Amino acid sequence: MDSAIQIAPSSATADSKQPPKTDGRPVSILIAALGGEGGGVLCEWLVDAATSAGFPVQGTSIPGVAQRTGATTYYVEISPLAQNELQGRHPIFSLTPVPGTVELVIASELLETARVLQAGFVDPIHTTLISSVSRTLTTLEKMAMGDGRLDSEELKATAREFSAEFISFDMQAEAKKAQTVVSAVLFGALAGSGKLPFSREFCEAAIRAQGKGVAQSLAGFARGFEACLAARAALAAGPAEALASGATSMRPALPARLSLALERFPNEALDVLTTALSRLIDYQDESYARLYLERIESVRVLSESLAASVSQRAELVREAGRFLALWMMFDDVIRVAELKTRATRFARVRDEVRAHPGDIVQIADYFKPRLEELLGILPVRLGRLVAAWAEGVQRIIGRPLELALALRTDSILGFIALRLVAACKPLRPRGARYEQEQVRIGDWLRALHDCSALGILPAQEIALCARLIKGYGATNARAHENLERIIATLASPAALAQWRDGAALARALASARQAALADPEGRALDRDIERHGARARPLAERPIKLIRRARA
Amino acid sequence: MERSFTREVEMLKRGSGEVFHGEGILAITKGLLEAGVAYVGGYQGAPVSHLLDVLVQASEFLGELGVYVEACSNEASAAALLAASIHYPVRGAVTWKSVVGTNVASDALSNLASAGVTGGALIIVGEDYGEGASVIQERTLAFALKSSVCLLDPRPDLGLMARMVESGFELSEASSLPVIMQLRIRACHVRGQFLCRDNVAPLNSALHHLEGPAPFDYARLSHPPATFRQEKQKSDLRLPNARRFIVEHELNELIDGPRTEVGLIVQGGLYNTLMRALREVGLADLYGDSEFPILVLNVTCPLVPEQIAAFAEDRKAVLVIEEGQPEFLEHEIGSILRRAAIDTPLYGKDLLAMAGEYTVEVLVAGIAALVEQVKEKPANPQALGALLEHSSQLASRWLESNRERRHGAALRLGTVPPRPPGFCIGCPERPVFAALKLVQAKIGPIHIAADIGCHAFATFEPFSSGHSILGYGMSLASAAAVAPLMRQRTLAIMGDGGFWHNGLLSGVQSALFNRDDVVLLILKNGYTSATGTQEIISSPEDEVREIARAQPAGMLAHNRTIETTLEGMGLKWLETVHTYDVEKMMATLTEAFTTDFKGLKVIIGEGECQLERQRRIRPSDARRLAKGKRVVRVKYGVDEDVCSGDHSCMRLSGCPTLTLKDSHDGLKVDPVVTVEDGCVGCGLCGANAHAATLCPSFYRAEVIQNPGWRDRIMASVRAGVLRLVQPA
Repeated sequence: MDSAIQIAPSSATADSKQPPKTDGRPVSILIAALGGEGGGVLCEWLVDAATSAGFPVQGTSIPGVAQRTGATTYYVEISPLAQNELQGRHPIFSLTPVPGTVELVIASELLETARVLQAGFVDPIHTTLISSVSRTLTTLEKMAMGDGRLDSEELKATAREFSAEFISFDMQAEAKKAQTVVSAVLFGALAGSGKLPFSREFCEAAIRAQGKGVAQSLAGFARGFEACLAARAALAAGPAEALASGATSMRPALPARLSLALERFPNEALDVLTTALSRLIDYQDESYARLYLERIESVRVLSESLAASVSQRAELVREAGRFLALWMMFDDVIRVAELKTRATRFARVRDEVRAHPGDIVQIADYFKPRLEELLGILPVRLGRLVAAWAEGVQRIIGRPLELALALRTDSILGFIALRLVAACKPLRPRGARYEQEQVRIGDWLRALHDCSALGILPAQEIALCARLIKGYGATNARAHENLERIIATLASPAALAQWRDGAALARALASARQAALADPEGRALDRDIERHGARARPLAERPIKLIRRARA
Repeated sequence: MERSFTREVEMLKRGSGEVFHGEGILAITKGLLEAGVAYVGGYQGAPVSHLLDVLVQASEFLGELGVYVEACSNEASAAALLAASIHYPVRGAVTWKSVVGTNVASDALSNLASAGVTGGALIIVGEDYGEGASVIQERTLAFALKSSVCLLDPRPDLGLMARMVESGFELSEASSLPVIMQLRIRACHVRGQFLCRDNVAPLNSALHHLEGPAPFDYARLSHPPATFRQEKQKSDLRLPNARRFIVEHELNELIDGPRTEVGLIVQGGLYNTLMRALREVGLADLYGDSEFPILVLNVTCPLVPEQIAAFAEDRKAVLVIEEGQPEFLEHEIGSILRRAAIDTPLYGKDLLAMAGEYTVEVLVAGIAALVEQVKEKPANPQALGALLEHSSQLASRWLESNRERRHGAALRLGTVPPRPPGFCIGCPERPVFAALKLVQAKIGPIHIAADIGCHAFATFEPFSSGHSILGYGMSLASAAAVAPLMRQRTLAIMGDGGFWHNGLLSGVQSALFNRDDVVLLILKNGYTSATGTQEIISSPEDEVREIARAQPAGMLAHNRTIETTLEGMGLKWLETVHTYDVEKMMATLTEAFTTDFKGLKVIIGEGECQLERQRRIRPSDARRLAKGKRVVRVKYGVDEDVCSGDHSCMRLSGCPTLTLKDSHDGLKVDPVVTVEDGCVGCGLCGANAHAATLCPSFYRAEVIQNPGWRDRIMASVRAGVLRLVQPA
C-alpha cells in the first residue's frame, strides 16, 4: 500500500496498515466506457496486476458490436484475500455487477456515469465513483437544432449525491496530454483511488508486460494516478472557494459616441450590447452600428414603460439586443468571404489541424451558394433582371443554378477571388437581401412592441424567438418561415386581440419556439400552433415519378 | 483482421504444468488442442469470433500439429464440415453465434444428428442472450432437444470449461451424438487462468492420412429408410448411452448443503450468478458453501431422470433456475418427478422472470419468492425458519434499496439519451445513408429492407433507416413481396459479408428468377467488418493493399468477384459508385428508383472498411514520418464564426469526430460544430456540404509533413502574395 492512501477523506478505510475489507466481499470494479477506448486492455491489465500480486481475480465484458463507439461496460472482481491467505478456498466471482455492492465504479465519460447511476450500481454507502468530467456527446444531443446537450453540472451534482465518494477530473484531457488512450488514465485513477488491494507497482508492471505503447500508457497511468490523488485531496479539503463570479469580461473598445449612448442601458445588458456594436462595425460600418443602437434604444424605452422588475427589463433589452445583433449580421457571401480570408483564421486552422512548425497547410473551403444568395448582394432592380434570366435558364436545364466549389483559399487565385467578393461590402446596404432583412427585422420589432401591450412576458418571448433565425440558404429561409408563422398565428394584431392573459401568450410563444427547434421539417411547430388556429403549411413541390409495373 | 492475437497464440502453445491466462473462449480453444482436435471451422460472430480468429492467425503452429482450420462461408457449411466425423475417427469442432447461426446451420445439423458420428463432433456456440447481445433472443436448447443433440452449459470456470471440451468429445463418441457447448457472452469474455496440459496431435490428420474412404454403409446416410432406424436409435441407444456417460463421468455436479429441505437445480452457466445471489441473502458464502444443496447441470440435454429424481426426493421444495423461454428443463423435470411419483413441490418460472438475462438481482427476487413459499409450510424446523426469515429480510431490504436508488436517479436525470454503437470514424457506409436520406427528401420515402452488418447501425440516429431485418443476407428476399404493394420501388441493402453468407442465393438468384423490380444496394467494404473484419472471397489481395494507400475505394475494384458473379447470373443493371461521392450516389439511387428498366437493379457502393485501411496506413505513415519522408495528412474542420449552429450537418453524419462545442462568440447561445482530432479525412463532411447545401463553414486541410522543396517554394510564394492582400 502506498502513502497516497493517507489523504483519503474517510480515515476509517484509509489506514494503510489495515488489509482491505474482509467481510467476504470481493473488491468489485465496474468500468463504463465507450467502444474503442481500450476497456478490454484495461480489463486485461487489472487481471494481470491482481494475478501477479497474488490475488485471485476475474474480469469480464460484453463488447459485442458496442466496440463500435457504443456504450459498454467491463466488470472485474478481485479476491479480498490473497491466494496464500485463502487456505485453499476459491472465491466464486460474479460475472455480472451486483447493484449496490460495487465498490469502485469508474467511467471515462460523464453521461456514462449517469447511465451506471440509473442502472442502480452506485451506492451512497459502498461505492467510490470516479468519473471523467469530459463529455462525448451522443448523436441525439448533437442532432438538436438548438442546444440539446445535457447539463454537465446537473450530472455531476447527481453523481456526488448518489455516491459515497465522487472523484472527478478530465480523463480525456489527461489521455491527450500523455498521447495515449483513456484506458491508461482510467487504470491510473483506479490505482490512485486506494481501493485496489495491491500497489501501483503491480499495475505498472502489468502495463510493461503487455508490451504495446508502454511509455505512453505509463505516462497516462501516472497522470490518472496523480489526478485522482489531487481530486481526492481537494475533496478532503472541503468544497473549494467559489470562483469570484461576475468578473467583468474584457469589453471591446467602441467609438466614443456609441459608448456614451450605452450609458443609458442597464448594466446586465452591457456585455452583449458592447460586443454587438463592435461586431456590427466590423460587419458593416459605424452607421450600421448606429442603426442597431436606435433599434435597441426603442426596446429600452419600451421596457421602461412596462410594469416589470429591473432585472426583467434588463433581460428583455439584453436578449433582444443579442438576437437583433445576430440578425443584423446576417450571413451572406460577402461576410463569409471576409471571415475565410482573415489572417487570424489561417492561424486558427493551423492550430485546429495540429500542424507542427514547418508543416505546410493547404485549405480548401466548401462553398455552394445558391443563386438567390449571389443575387442578394445586387441592387433590387438589377437582381430582379438577373433572376428572371436565371429562372429561364433553370427551366431549360431542369435544375437549380448552383455553384459547388471546393476553393483553395490558400492559393493565390482562390484567395484573391474571395477578397474581391469581400470587397463588395460597401455595396451591401444597396442589395436586395439587406433590404429584405431590414423589413423582416422591422416586423419582428413591431411584434415585440405589439405584444408588450399584454405585459413584459410575451415581449420577452418574442425577443427570444429571434433565436430561430440562423443558417444559410434553405435553412435560413425555413427559419424565417417558422418565425413568420409563429408571429402571424400568435402575435399579429389580429391574433393579439384574442389574448387576455400575457402569461398565457408567453407560454404559447415559448412552446412554439421549442417546437420550431424540435425537427427541421417543422412538423412539431405545425402541430403546436395548429391549436391556435394556424393554417396548414403549403405542401412543397416534389417530383413524383410513377413507375409502370412489369407484367409477366 | 481487426485484432492481432500474437500473445494469445503463445498461450495456445503452452504445455503441461504451465498456466494459461486469457479469455474464456480462448481457454476453449486451448481445450480443443489438448483434446486432440483434428479440424476446426466456423463462422465469426460475437462472442465466439476470437476462437476462429486466433486459430487462423496460428496457422503455422496448427500445421505442425496437423490441425486443419476452415473459415466457412456460413454456419451451414460449418455444420456440414462435421460430416468428417460421421465415418472417420477424428475429432472436429465448429463454432458460431447462436441462436442465429444455429438457425442457419440447422439443416446440416439435423442430418448430422440423424446419421450419428464416430469421431467426436463438438459445436461451440456463443449464446448471445441478454445484455450485450445483438441478435434475436432465443434458446439453442430448442435445437438440441428437437435434433437429439447433447447440450453442455458449463460452469463459467476456465479450468472446467477447458476440461468440458474433452468431456464433450468423449460424450459425443460414447453416444454417437453431436454435442453443442453453449457459452454465454460474459463467459466467453471472462478472464482467468487454468493449468494447461500438453497439446495432442490428432492421430489422423493432414500429417497422418487415413488408409482410404470408409466402406459404403447405407445406415450412415440420412436417407430413408435409414432415417427411420436412426430416429429410433436416438432414444433407444444414443441418448441412454449419453446419460450413462454423464453419470459415470460426473459431468453434472452435486453440491451439498445442510438445509436439505430445499434443493436448487441450476444450469451450469448460471452457477456463479446463483452463488452470488445466495450470498447476498445470507444463504452462501463467497467460497461456494451453500445452505441448500445444489444440482449443477453442466449438461442440460439430455437430463438424467434418475439423477433428477434422486435430487428432488424428500424435499419441501425444488427450484429450477433456467434462463430463457420456454422453460424446457422445468417441464421435463416436472415430467420426470410425476413419472417417478415424487410429489416434491416444483418451482421455476412461476417465481422467476420468464424472459431475459438472469442477473444476480433477478435471481435474488426468485429466491426471495421461494423463501416466502417455504416459510409458509407447516412444521419447518426452527433453525430453518430463522434462516429463511433472515434471508427474506435481507432480500427485501436489498431489492427495495435498488429500486429506491434507480427511482431517485431517474427523478433527477430523466431518461438519459442512449448511446448505441455506430459507424466508425470515416466509415465508408455512413455516406451511403446520408445520400439515401437526401434522396428520400427529394423523391419521397422508400421502403427499405435492412440487413445484418455494420450498415444496420443506420437504423439508429441520425439516419433512422430501415423497415425490417430478417436475418443475415436476407434483405433482398424480404423485399420481394413488399415490392408489388408499393407505388415506388423498394430498396434492399446488404453488405458484402451478407451477400456471400446468404444474400447471393436467397436474394439475388430469386429476384432474377422472378424478375423482381427492386433495387439492391451492396456495400462492398471488403471484409465482414461487424464481426472483426474477417476476410472473404471479395477481400482485396495483400499485394493490392500494399500499393493502394490513398484511394479508399479504388483498391476494392481490383477484386471483382461480386460483379462478375452477378453478371454471370445474368444481371443487366449494375452500377458501381464510390461511397464517399454523395452526389453521385444520390444520382445513381434516383436513377435506380425511376429508370424504365424493369428487373433487378444493383448498386455496388465501394469503400474500404476504414478500420482495415487505418490499420495499414497508420503504421506506414509513422514509418515514413520517422524517415523524414513526405506525408500528407487530411483533416476536416469547421470555422466556428461561420457555423450557424443549426446542426444540419449532424443530421447527415453522426461521425464521432463531428461534434459540438460552446461558441466563443459572446452573442451566440447555441453550440457550434467542431471536428475533433480523430478525423481521418474521409471526405464526407465536404461531400455533404455540397450535396445538402450545408453552411459554408466546412474546410478541408491538407497538412504536408516533411514537405519537399517544391512544396516549400510554392508555399512561400503563396504566403508572400497573400500577405500583400490580406487584412489583419
